[in-house]
Amino acid sequence: MAGPGNEPGPFGMTRAHPPGSDFPWWLGLLAALGVWLFYQVWASAIYAQVMATLAKGIWITLLVTVLAFALACGLGLGLALASQSRLLVVRQMARFYVEVVRGVPIIVLLLYVAFAATPALVEAWNWLTGPFGLEPMRGRDFSLLVRAIIALTIAYSAFLAEVFRAGLVSVDAGQIEAAEALGLNGWQRFRHIVFPQAFRTILPPLGNDFVAMVKDSSLVSVLGVADITQLGKVTAAGNFRYFETYNVVALIYLTMTITLSLGLRRLEARLRAKGKR
Amino acid sequence: MKLTAALAGLTFALSATLATAEGLPDLAGREVVVVTENAYPPLQFLDASGAAVGWEYDAVAEIAKRLNLVVSYQNSSWDAMIPAVSGGQYDMGMTGITIRDDRKEQVDFSDPYMRSEMVMLVRGDESRFSDAASFAANADLLMAAQPGTTPFYVGVYEVLDGNEANPRIKMFETFGAGVEALKAGDVDLVLTDGTAGAGYVAASNGGLKIVGDKLGAEDFGFIFPKGSDLVAPINAAIAALKADGTIEALNQKWFLDYKMGQ
Repeated sequence: MAGPGNEPGPFGMTRAHPPGSDFPWWLGLLAALGVWLFYQVWASAIYAQVMATLAKGIWITLLVTVLAFALACGLGLGLALASQSRLLVVRQMARFYVEVVRGVPIIVLLLYVAFAATPALVEAWNWLTGPFGLEPMRGRDFSLLVRAIIALTIAYSAFLAEVFRAGLVSVDAGQIEAAEALGLNGWQRFRHIVFPQAFRTILPPLGNDFVAMVKDSSLVSVLGVADITQLGKVTAAGNFRYFETYNVVALIYLTMTITLSLGLRRLEARLRAKGKR
Repeated sequence: MKLTAALAGLTFALSATLATAEGLPDLAGREVVVVTENAYPPLQFLDASGAAVGWEYDAVAEIAKRLNLVVSYQNSSWDAMIPAVSGGQYDMGMTGITIRDDRKEQVDFSDPYMRSEMVMLVRGDESRFSDAASFAANADLLMAAQPGTTPFYVGVYEVLDGNEANPRIKMFETFGAGVEALKAGDVDLVLTDGTAGAGYVAASNGGLKIVGDKLGAEDFGFIFPKGSDLVAPINAAIAALKADGTIEALNQKWFLDYKMGQ
């Protein structure tokens, strides 16, 4: 293999090993680690207790992840379309939103939405509707769970807007011209021509962001939302066993993220095969 | 909705003139939302079965019984708690909160229901210091603390030199992280209240021990949104619990009889 332009780089890097060409030994090692940890959960009273407590948090983590991601997809798609708008104002507003939100750490966004934006919005609403005799809204009607989902939605909508925009841009202009020539209107062009092609470009980064959302959902624990991480924090505070508790926390997250990643790879491969036909 | 609210208000007005046998007001089944984190054993924590239990749960249940309150619980992190109660999101907060003047700008406090003293938690093989004075004297020694908590202030003002920016205090976001840093040798001292300290020692297999005398005395109170009308009745109930030995019984149950970390 050695020849001009094919010298191994640092760490013996060559172009001879595209990802996916090796046997997935890492997965075997990971599975072995997982089996060991699940065995601990089954055999050790401490691990079993921790798992029983943390299991209640899995639903909250899933709820936060799925809901916030779905909402962020909708908002992100809207922003991507707005960034392609014919109107300068709309384009610039979308840009402004994406740049601001992408530039702020999610944890800051969370605290901001929970303790600055929500009370301000409630106050503004009451000020607006007060003269009409509507019952005043109370801040407590928005639980910390709802605020956490709103904050994650806002944060991820900016990332996803960029993913969707890249997908939309990747569709060849000739395709759109052809659709126009066939007399399709704007919505039909988007629905039948642009979106199906953009989707294939979008899916891998979208999947990555979904897996990232599973992990970032743990940030809601700073508000005390009882997800896996918060229950882990609370469990360790009561049983004084940090090592065992966070082993179980990591085990649950890894089980979710690896399963998702593998599933998404399958889906991508199937779509690729379909696209080649 | 409006009608029931009006009725509840009427009942409340009527019952305010009534009183229970102990002279405590009857709040007529008023709903009170209490927020806590469940991360401060034995005041509130998750037991081995994952159930939320502790001294404060028992005390609030007793207060609710005597004042005729209907209590429901919500969770928030400690960071979020004072802003959330201050903003009126919850009616009351309980999580071993030290009564401090700077916090009184944000929330109203009940009368104290507990006095907490700190112990010095160190590694099991620690031999370089044995009390606060010998810790302070050796500039190599470091302590861990959560900023803005009672152990932090006791560390600054009673162990070290009163400088809140003293580099010998290493800040950690959670109490547990500080204890892990102690075990790992990153710091040499963690201040904690006696019960939690005993729990950590019991769970450490000799890895941790307690040295020196007790430090600092802090009074804990419940917190309420500013101007809450719950403060007066709850203070009356706390006084009743103190007078009839209920508080003493709870101290016996949770601080002496209950075995943490096992």
